Amino acid sequence: MSASRTIGDAKAHHQAAWRGLSRERIEFESTLVQVPIVKRLLEGNWRAHDYRSLLVNLRQQVIEGSRWISRAASNLSPEHEDLRSMFVRHAVAEHRDFRLLEDNYVAAGGRLEEIQNRPKNIGSEAFSAFMYHTASKPDPLGMLGAMFIIEGLGERMAGEWAALIQSQLDLPDKAVSFLAYHGENDSEHIAMFEHALKLAATSAERTEDIVRHARVVARLYRLQLEELDNV
Amino acid sequence: MEVFINASGQFLPGEPVPNEQMTDYIGTISPDADRRGKQTLRNNGIRQRHYAINADGSTDLTVAEMAARALGSVLDCAETDPRSIGFLASATTQNDFMVPGMASQVHAAMGLPPMEIANMQSVCASSMMALKAAALQVAQAEHDAALVCGAEFSSRYFRPGHYLGTDAVAADGTLPGDADFLRWTLSDGAAGLLLENRPRERGLSLKIDWITLTSFADRFAPCMTGGAAQQDDGSLKPWSHFTSAEAAARAGAFQLRQDIDALYRMLPVWLGEFMRLVDTGRIDPLSVDWFCCHYSARSLRKEMTRLATRAGCMIPEERWFTNLYEKGNVGAASIFLILDDLLRSGNLSAGQKILLAVPESGQSIMAHAGLTVMENGE
Repeated sequence: MSASRTIGDAKAHHQAAWRGLSRERIEFESTLVQVPIVKRLLEGNWRAHDYRSLLVNLRQQVIEGSRWISRAASNLSPEHEDLRSMFVRHAVAEHRDFRLLEDNYVAAGGRLEEIQNRPKNIGSEAFSAFMYHTASKPDPLGMLGAMFIIEGLGERMAGEWAALIQSQLDLPDKAVSFLAYHGENDSEHIAMFEHALKLAATSAERTEDIVRHARVVARLYRLQLEELDNV
Repeated sequence: MEVFINASGQFLPGEPVPNEQMTDYIGTISPDADRRGKQTLRNNGIRQRHYAINADGSTDLTVAEMAARALGSVLDCAETDPRSIGFLASATTQNDFMVPGMASQVHAAMGLPPMEIANMQSVCASSMMALKAAALQVAQAEHDAALVCGAEFSSRYFRPGHYLGTDAVAADGTLPGDADFLRWTLSDGAAGLLLENRPRERGLSLKIDWITLTSFADRFAPCMTGGAAQQDDGSLKPWSHFTSAEAAARAGAFQLRQDIDALYRMLPVWLGEFMRLVDTGRIDPLSVDWFCCHYSARSLRKEMTRLATRAGCMIPEERWFTNLYEKGNVGAASIFLILDDLLRSGNLSAGQKILLAVPESGQSIMAHAGLTVMENGE
């Protein structure tokens, strides 16, 4: 096989992965409006309780995020050492994010003990279980598909949601800093992600695996929004 | 059974109207509204269009009449006896009347014998609904030959009299963006096709390989509307639910509206449908020789190009064929106008692949069709 052919194949795999992930993300994000809590937000019908409920439910999942990324990093073999260092850096960057959620909750009128002690909702249970399951496998490259959905949601929706929430509920900046942070920074994470995808999507099988993980996680992420407070 | 497009034609009323003469026809709501219109024109890139109204707002035409004239020009270049046509499907955004449907009036205006008809009312994608209905009729051997037309007469809704005195006009004489946008976007005309169960013996035919049409109304609210007024809670109130037609008119219910932000939110979903067809093997971007996409603005084309390039499914820009900038955005007529101009361009040769793409913002629809060029029946 010639060198140019190899480069051409690599580009084709990367583009196929990007296309597949884009399709999953578009389907996920465009149908979120069907989820009651999102629908009410977009229609301007939120109560103060809705935001506090979202924060409590997100916190129990976010606290797990850097933990399953770390576990995934530990299962990446030397072949994927560049990916491993990216995973580790990402885990470090986000492992205290749940504190932001707690601060936001208190700033939005909630009690700290309340957000710290609530169990995961049944959707978050499924979501977290799947992420740990994937992260525990050898060379869990499918994690990238999952991370694309989660970071993509932050990049494209979090900023808009923060603004909507703030205006509807008349909240100070310090009450929406988690969503605002992800709205501002997840585009950098997506850029980093694109590089990671080039490293990982090097065959049709790997590409399919990454896209499939995106599909599963999109469904499970939605499930946790559908099951708010259903513990 | 295989189905072939064997003739095409168009009717564009009057002389082309350049940007600087638009207000001679659609009038001026306020100087400020005109300034905003210039911005819309810079975005959509349209340089000229046709209007079926005269400078004083009067007209000798109807949308059905334009459709019939376009189909007359289709039959003028067909190998087929018009009496053998068994089916007519018509497409438009707003018919002349609310009742009955346009297909009846087109049939009447054409003077053809009794036939089966279908009336498609949506926005741009109604053209593809009509095309698919006709293609299936011929494919199922229900009819040997079918006519398809798309026609629009939007300018008549854009005269100042449809806005002044309604709640839509602000104290400073401006219109909200959603009411203003389409005045500078849409124009008039009609075009049509003849479908048959065999190719032409001489000249160009287009074999219809497949047609897809998908609605995404499960996730989008209406984005382009007419006949309803938005309420404070965001819901749309149909004109007929007002206490009187006059009250509905005052609330702006009869104005055509376009939520421009929603348009840009729909774009990824339309492109997602395109990517689905790439991934399932229906579309091979590199084997498309002519890409006929009814995009409504140059700015939307740029965004589509950016997304498709990144996803490795961009059809090279030199293969895109459009007449948007010279003939305007004619809604349901546009894709047939594009196809007619492509067929007459002298650039087609046997074996080439044509891809049609028609997004509709109404409540989000995306339609595609794959065609193969044939010459002299081969």
